[in-house]
Amino acid sequence: MKRVLLCYLLLLFGVQGVWAQSKTVTGRVTSSDEPEGIPGVNILIKGSGSGTTTDLDGGFSLEVGSNDAVLVFSFVGYTTKEERVGNRSEINVVLKSDLSELGEVIVTAQGIERDERSLGYAVQSIKGDMVSQKSEPNLLNSLQGKLTGVNIVGASGAPGSSTNINIRGITSFTGSNQPLIVVDGIIFNNDTDNTQNTLFGSQPSNRLNDIAPESIESVNVLKGPAASVLYGSRASAGAIVITTKSGAGLENKTEVTVTSSVNVQNVYGLPKFQNQYGQGTQNDFNNTATGSWGPAFGTPGFENVETSFGTTVPYQAYPNNIIDFYQQGRIIQNGVSIASGDRDDNFIVAVNTSLQDGIIPNSTFDRYNVQIGGNKKLNNGVKVGGNVTYVKSSSRNTLTGNGGSAFGQITRIPRSFDLVGMPFQDDLGNSLFYNPTQNHPLWSLENEYLESNVDRVFGNFTVGYDVSDWLNITYRVTADTYTDRRKDIARIGSARTPAGSIAEDMLYRSELNGDLMITASKSNFLAEGLDATLLLGQNLNQRNFQGIGVFGSALNVPFFDNVSSASVFTGSGESSSVRRLIGHYAQLALAYNDYLFLELSGRVDQSSTLPAGNNAYFYPSVATSFVLTDALNIESDFLSYAKLRASAARVGRDADPYLLNTFYGTAGFGNNLASITFPIGVGGANIPGFLPGARLGSEQLTPEFVTSYEVGGNVGLFNNRLSIDAAYFFTRSTNQIFNVAVSNSSGYDLQTTNVGEMVNQGIELELSGTVLQAGQFTWDLGLNFTRIRNEVREIAPGVDQSGIPGDGFIGLTPSIVVGQPYGVIVGNQMQRNGDGELLINPLTGAYQPTLAGQVIANPQPDWLAGLMNTFYYKNFTLGVLIDTRQGGDIYSFGMVDQRNGGALEMTGVDRELPRVLPGVIEVGEGQYVPNNIQVPAQTYWAGLGGLISESGVYDATVYRLREVSLSYSLPRRFLERTPFGDASIGFSGRNLWFFAPGFPGDPELNSQGAGNIQGLDLNGVPNTRNYGVNIRFTL
Amino acid sequence: MKAINNIILGAALSLLATSCGEFLDINENPNNPEAVTPELLLSSGLAGAAFANNNELNRFGSTVISVTAGAAGSPSAYDIYDIDGDDFGNQWRFELYGGSLIAFEDMIAAADELGAPAYSGIGKIMQAYNFALATDTWGDVPYSEALGGLENTQPALDSQEDIYKGTDQIQSLFDLVREGIDDLAGESTLMPGQDDIVYDGDLDKWRRAGYTLMLKMANTISYREPALATTIINEVLQANDYIMSNEDDLNVRFGTSQGSYAPIHEWTNVSTFAGDLIISTRFVNLLNSKNDPRLPIFVTAPTGSYVTIDNGFAGQRPLPQTSWSRFNTYVTGGGAGPVRLLTNFQRAFILAESVVRLGIAGDANEYYQEGIRASMSLAGLSSAQIDAYFAANADEVTLSGNAEEDLEKIITQKYIAWTGNGVEQWTDWRRTGYPTLAPHQNAGGIDPNQRPLRAQYVSQEVNRNPNFPNNVFPNVPVWWNE
Repeated sequence: MKRVLLCYLLLLFGVQGVWAQSKTVTGRVTSSDEPEGIPGVNILIKGSGSGTTTDLDGGFSLEVGSNDAVLVFSFVGYTTKEERVGNRSEINVVLKSDLSELGEVIVTAQGIERDERSLGYAVQSIKGDMVSQKSEPNLLNSLQGKLTGVNIVGASGAPGSSTNINIRGITSFTGSNQPLIVVDGIIFNNDTDNTQNTLFGSQPSNRLNDIAPESIESVNVLKGPAASVLYGSRASAGAIVITTKSGAGLENKTEVTVTSSVNVQNVYGLPKFQNQYGQGTQNDFNNTATGSWGPAFGTPGFENVETSFGTTVPYQAYPNNIIDFYQQGRIIQNGVSIASGDRDDNFIVAVNTSLQDGIIPNSTFDRYNVQIGGNKKLNNGVKVGGNVTYVKSSSRNTLTGNGGSAFGQITRIPRSFDLVGMPFQDDLGNSLFYNPTQNHPLWSLENEYLESNVDRVFGNFTVGYDVSDWLNITYRVTADTYTDRRKDIARIGSARTPAGSIAEDMLYRSELNGDLMITASKSNFLAEGLDATLLLGQNLNQRNFQGIGVFGSALNVPFFDNVSSASVFTGSGESSSVRRLIGHYAQLALAYNDYLFLELSGRVDQSSTLPAGNNAYFYPSVATSFVLTDALNIESDFLSYAKLRASAARVGRDADPYLLNTFYGTAGFGNNLASITFPIGVGGANIPGFLPGARLGSEQLTPEFVTSYEVGGNVGLFNNRLSIDAAYFFTRSTNQIFNVAVSNSSGYDLQTTNVGEMVNQGIELELSGTVLQAGQFTWDLGLNFTRIRNEVREIAPGVDQSGIPGDGFIGLTPSIVVGQPYGVIVGNQMQRNGDGELLINPLTGAYQPTLAGQVIANPQPDWLAGLMNTFYYKNFTLGVLIDTRQGGDIYSFGMVDQRNGGALEMTGVDRELPRVLPGVIEVGEGQYVPNNIQVPAQTYWAGLGGLISESGVYDATVYRLREVSLSYSLPRRFLERTPFGDASIGFSGRNLWFFAPGFPGDPELNSQGAGNIQGLDLNGVPNTRNYGVNIRFTL
Repeated sequence: MKAINNIILGAALSLLATSCGEFLDINENPNNPEAVTPELLLSSGLAGAAFANNNELNRFGSTVISVTAGAAGSPSAYDIYDIDGDDFGNQWRFELYGGSLIAFEDMIAAADELGAPAYSGIGKIMQAYNFALATDTWGDVPYSEALGGLENTQPALDSQEDIYKGTDQIQSLFDLVREGIDDLAGESTLMPGQDDIVYDGDLDKWRRAGYTLMLKMANTISYREPALATTIINEVLQANDYIMSNEDDLNVRFGTSQGSYAPIHEWTNVSTFAGDLIISTRFVNLLNSKNDPRLPIFVTAPTGSYVTIDNGFAGQRPLPQTSWSRFNTYVTGGGAGPVRLLTNFQRAFILAESVVRLGIAGDANEYYQEGIRASMSLAGLSSAQIDAYFAANADEVTLSGNAEEDLEKIITQKYIAWTGNGVEQWTDWRRTGYPTLAPHQNAGGIDPNQRPLRAQYVSQEVNRNPNFPNNVFPNVPVWWNE
């Protein structure tokens, strides 16, 4: 794969020459830092495909055609250098170390490798060592705080839980805003298949969790449409291009690499609780009350109390009853890889495992990866390559969500309830809990859970051939397919399904891609110094989905977890979809004297999901880059490098399958209060029934478009010791394929149509450099800053707000609202007077009724920043990552529960004293006096607002010590007599500290998981703090 | 070398030449049909109508009208008159407009196309029933512009007056029923059978239900429009083709397995929310005060005595929950229901009231006693038992001649007979002020002094449709109650 792609680079720089005679050049490549030679430097004769690499001492010998030949010396971490041979026969080269990694080779769309300097758009590259061995098995989480323009939020601390990622804001109203993931050229599915209601279910993984961070060589983030246009429709939300490790760089050595790490996890981010008052209401004990509004501990007459299940217990605080509910989690990761070869012929075999027991008892996420791959250049010049990975991921997680789940109950535990010290079930396995209509959280963990078993295979096969020295043809086939076998168990006695239920789901997804790419390349094309590369490509794409579900309820045999135990099977069924796309694309890249670059791209897609007569759409992009320092021949120790870039692009996106019509579905009514699903059994007969679907289709659908403009610059100062990269972007999304919410009195809920306009603009800043270098001590610093402003400008005629598809509580709707950022939460707002003071009901001292349909929260942060410090001393490396999210809101059921319930520390303060809700009373038209109506503490804290109210909104600003890693590489001299090539030991920790000024716990939660609904913490799992030890050695 | 070139180029060209049309022509939905036949919509429409009346609105109605008391959850808010725009969203969306009403709308269209007026007739009668339920609950609601799909995604509201009485542009609910009754008489290519979970396809019974619905609607508006009500009631009496026996009741039947239960069975006995409701002490006291033999038939007493709480009571709930008095099998049918939407006793009480209040020809006392007997018989009491009750409680079962006292007696007996249908009880109380109900303890909400007179518009609908006014609170009477 890599080998094939390299040819583009070579062709890009291609110079055609006719060589009159040949001669041999020898020399040595050394580093500007140390006099030692650098082994493995690539030396290419510019314009030809041939070259060599330096030996262990940095020496080389190479046959060149003529004195006009130009040698290109390149090595990762060093500035690429070119030398014209002239009449020399010995060429010694000093390569400048390039701490800021300017001028590096970047993998762009369709795997095309480009020199960073030629890019007219922002691409950020992360090396594998920045994501592996970091106490975090989820790749996306380990990218947090390290990228500009990228917003990453994990769902929770549950093992394997999904993580949301958005690049440069949200560009689609309802389409996926997750970037396209490409692994070694394979379009890699990153869906989060929710088979349960996201308000009440378990958290499934996003499927990028199937990648082992240890297998990653590099992660390249293509941020804007200009960068990703060749990937077509699906990359309009950006692309993450992952390259896995291979044997290409091993100089024909065979290397065995072993990695191993052990980490522990602890619950983190819980609020502080009061411990003076126990279960009850209105200062009286009540053994079924969910609140801690009972008498103070020590009140005479309340020494002992009777539980609702008949035992007598002391009435006292259990200060650790919540924290002791959690256990210490554990992550054990091991990996072995065997790799060998060089750029043309290489192979790798790798095995990685990750075994995790979460902080919640009985929760797990285990992953096994086996990879085999290689490349070969055949004698006839044909290059073939392939790579196959098998992954087995399995997880078990409990239910979350409001009401009948462990996490719906954990926020309603009275301070006097001994949560973990008493039996949670009786001899027959029935839950013993203070609240007879709910279950003990520990009972829920054992009896209500989702198991997921994923078997996944993905791979590629590439064949390429240089037809002539300027023309290459390559065909690449990629496949990614998995099945996820799920079992969702709610045993008899479950709060939400008292008769018990078992759902067996089999999800199957596959994606096939075929890409034909023809590349033509000419140097000195039309003019001296002008290099041109033309790429023509065709993409055939097919995506299949099938979901088969058997839903059995009303179980007959307790603790027998098989659907054969069920009596009712309504809700069982199958659903499938297939979609295809044909794309044709072209890209012309022009480079003038290696300082002025222009790239023109275009793509036509034809999609099966659009109306047959009108399913083709074209979109172009233009990008340019200008390296000032080279163009103007600036040679300065101060200004070492300066580049300006600009791009404009438009990307189209097709619809999901089957949106063109309105359909009927099996009828059902009700919710967890009471429900029926057809067919229903009436008087011995099974009666079928259908209903029109909630959505109105449209035969007039057209693709949606994102148009983007970007300008940026890159400056290297003090011999590139300090590097600054800045970008401004503006994107405009139009013609959105959207299910507009319609009045339910139309008989429907949604209407699919093309509407709307949304803009994002943002600033990205990246600063990196060496702060201090003294002797063997180096302090490197990397700072990133992102500020994105999103605004919904238009939805549809007559519609100025609409809910985002997904499960929601009525009165708490994540929405798009004209004039507001995407994803604001629309709910009930308290009434205020003209001065913004809250209005009090003079009869009760409580707030006046709320107004429905108001924007009450905005989950989008104001800005994000990360600060990575890396300290090097001798063989020690210490990395410290601090990041912050500023602004943005979180809506938390948990905090409202615990506040209303009198459990939070603040509710215990001065509890005996009456309180007055802040607000004013209207005494006449426009006349207000401050509220002076005293209410008891319980009324006060409840009066602030219940579950569906404005009072659940908190500022999510947080500062975090995200990641600390310390590693020690054993000195070579220790290893000389051992079989080890390299060996290192490290310690790492994540989420070691945080400070959230506006939220009683850790606000970095998102209980709805990866997707377009953000900013909700609806009784999810809290976050974790991880730390551990790791080793790595090579043989 | 050349061969390889040719192979690669050939493969490339053949791929480029792939016929796009066939390759892409795969957007047929394999999961959901685009059209269905009327019988698949009749069953779902009828079940939806039952849910609209019998699910959350019934929990509200039964509680606010002192039959049940709220022990937890939403009913404990209903119990203190506390409802707002967050309540009944599911009823509006899933059970009425997006449920039964749209099912019948599509069923009528499909039936008209197939020449099956039998289905159209049932559809129109049931649509009228549901629109009446919607307007009685919320006041002015979308009606003439509703259910249009793409044609009108933000329907205007029609005034309740126009919905009941009609205008040049708007068909009145009465005319909708009349049209339905006419359709039933037409030649039909397709006849309902098992899919009719009310009458198993007996169109005569549907016709009687149609006339009875006209009686009910006339009765509803009779304070506001006595002349019109009188005309319609006389029209129905003239036709003499209404529900005259308990066997003709419009009962939606459900099943006794999970997933097929009538809503009231599930929320009374099965669901997590079974702890939300307990029978009100007041209801037990009322029936005891009348020595009513239906009490143990309507209400359970698992421990041998009635375990209840007062409406609005804020203290400790009785334990264990298994001791609570709840709706008995008369109401729940062990899951089968039925959900009673139009009944023989209702018809008799309506006529009794009409004689007393509107001067309709007939014997009010006869109708009154017919109503009580129909209810007692429906409850399973034998004629002998009923006779015995009548003999022992002559005062209770006899109208005295004082119009107001008679009205109170009629509506109070109708209230008892309607046990399990809080919506009808609430509507009768709103119209007449009977039965006489003491305020609930700890009343709150927008107006602690006013038992709710309507439901507030659903917040989501207010957000989506600018035609809806905000802040029409539950203490504002609907048009027929003004």
